[in-house]
Amino acid sequence: MSDAGDLLEETAEELFEEAPCGYLTTALDGTILRVNRTFETLTGHDRTHLVGQRTFQQLLSAGGRIYHETHFAPLLRMQGEVREIALEVVRADGSRVPVLVNAALRADDEGRPRVVRTTVFDARDRRRYERELVAARKREHQIAQDLQRSLLAGAAPEAPGLTIEVAYRPAVEGLEVGGDWYDAFWLDPPRTIGLVVGDVVGRGLEAAATMGQLRSAVRALASTGLAPGELLHALDRYARRHEVGQMATVVYADLDLESGRLRYACAGHPPPLLLEAGEPARYLPEGRSLPLDALAAPTARAGAVASLPPGAVLLLYTDGLIERSDRPLQAGMERLRAEVERHRADVPATLPSVLVNALTAEAKNADDVCLLAVGRTA
Amino acid sequence: MNAAARHNVVVHGPPDAPPMLFAHGFGCDQNMWRLVWPAFADDFRIVLFDHAGAGGAERSAYDPERHAALDGYADDVLAICAELELRGITFVGHSVSAMIGVLAAAREPERFARLVLVGPSPRYLDDDGYVGGFTQADIEELLESLEDNYLGWSSAMAPAIMGVPDRPELGEELTNSFCRADPEIQARFARATFLSDNRADLGRVRTPSLVLQCSSDVIAPQAVGEYVAARMPDSRYVLLEATGHCPNLSAPEETIAAIREFVAG
Repeated sequence: MSDAGDLLEETAEELFEEAPCGYLTTALDGTILRVNRTFETLTGHDRTHLVGQRTFQQLLSAGGRIYHETHFAPLLRMQGEVREIALEVVRADGSRVPVLVNAALRADDEGRPRVVRTTVFDARDRRRYERELVAARKREHQIAQDLQRSLLAGAAPEAPGLTIEVAYRPAVEGLEVGGDWYDAFWLDPPRTIGLVVGDVVGRGLEAAATMGQLRSAVRALASTGLAPGELLHALDRYARRHEVGQMATVVYADLDLESGRLRYACAGHPPPLLLEAGEPARYLPEGRSLPLDALAAPTARAGAVASLPPGAVLLLYTDGLIERSDRPLQAGMERLRAEVERHRADVPATLPSVLVNALTAEAKNADDVCLLAVGRTA
Repeated sequence: MNAAARHNVVVHGPPDAPPMLFAHGFGCDQNMWRLVWPAFADDFRIVLFDHAGAGGAERSAYDPERHAALDGYADDVLAICAELELRGITFVGHSVSAMIGVLAAAREPERFARLVLVGPSPRYLDDDGYVGGFTQADIEELLESLEDNYLGWSSAMAPAIMGVPDRPELGEELTNSFCRADPEIQARFARATFLSDNRADLGRVRTPSLVLQCSSDVIAPQAVGEYVAARMPDSRYVLLEATGHCPNLSAPEETIAAIREFVAG
């Protein structure tokens, strides 16, 4: 105790000079008025080259100087203090030290700010670690994006009289990819095709992986010749058994290109919209059931039959197209139908992107949006 | 949604007075003007707003494509002017908003009576004999600084910032909130700002203009302010004693006096 007691008898001067952080006092314009020894060591500058000679900003990297002027200084003025600002100090030998900076305005007796007190912490390790974290997050985002892109790629079936057009717009907001997907494939070439649009819960790598599993499962089940309601029932059991895609929503349809017979089923998914030549656009309201793995035990799922005559277009989409936080879902569906009517003369190739633009113009970035338009030419 | 709501427009002063429109620069929001606008609130209809992606602007106001260039921001200014039916405007723009004002006044000169350009720079990069003060590498460094400083933008803060009302406890700790911004948007705004070149636009503005230049401003050096004043057909140049880039915060009295003298004729 007595040894420590001796050491505690430090003078204020020693406390200042040997503090375990760089310490400086500057005028309001940044001119350095006083520094401690730790700051000298950190910067490699002798105080005689600093005091009255330089501003704090001048010791920063050029990018840091801009940051100082556009963020640090205004914040200091408005808040009276700033904390944990990451900057880089350029040392006397030209090398750089990442630092964390706290600063506080010191006012005179009348409350007018006079000087700035600044502490500077060596943050080499921390900055390296933070940058690693940021890089890791970006990498994960990139992987998820690549995965999503690879799952969404692949050639759609091509046949005379058939058009398949897609608009896919990932949410701009946030760093993570969403879980919307679409698929179109041959079931029985050249006569029947399968069509899928789905939306899994969550975002990021996990959502992309889930979507990949469900997409493969749908393709595998479809190849066995199941009708849409049966297929969704089987997919439901798959989701449950393998604990993948709980509460995902899917619309699945198969289309006979010769007869135009369309069989479809929706698991918790918004209804397909049918646009026939000379008819008002209408939703296909049947074949509905709950999202995947929503009930304790899978039950049979409804399917329905409709017809896609020549000249007609079928729209399958995810809820990002119609859902908005500031209006009921019904209003969003009405809006989609109105936009489809308004753009019914558009060529099929541009219709999906035109619709997505029209419907998301007011509320960008909110959610992923996926729209698949399948047409039979007249 | 209308432009006023999108841009968090705040109006003070007599409604029938001539309008004075304040535009903040890169970095913070309309709070940058809080020491200046009250001095004009008796004689002007004060209009404050936040640029898309800044302060209290609606999230959906930001469009990565449109706001990749300063023209997109000028569009927003003109949209606010049109919606509020502003005429005979005294436009006061700080930093990059000085050039946004130049673009807006060049496009719709009939709306603007005067421009006050605080720390303007038509080109931040050195360019073939022109000295803007920065190099491309400096701007890359700035982007790094932005990335290292997610001010008030941890994921815990994001909901409060984005206006999700179900976490009121976050509302109290909005440290650094004046400069809060989505880091992605902030980086894009930095590019739009510091890589812009509006030198050719200066000559298109006939509106009487005041260039307010700070002493030792590293963002917009004196030579740049002089360049701006020399190339604008009807401009006055005032060198402030204030140092740094934000005289609206560091020397509000001097800034107010200079603007007052200019608007008095």
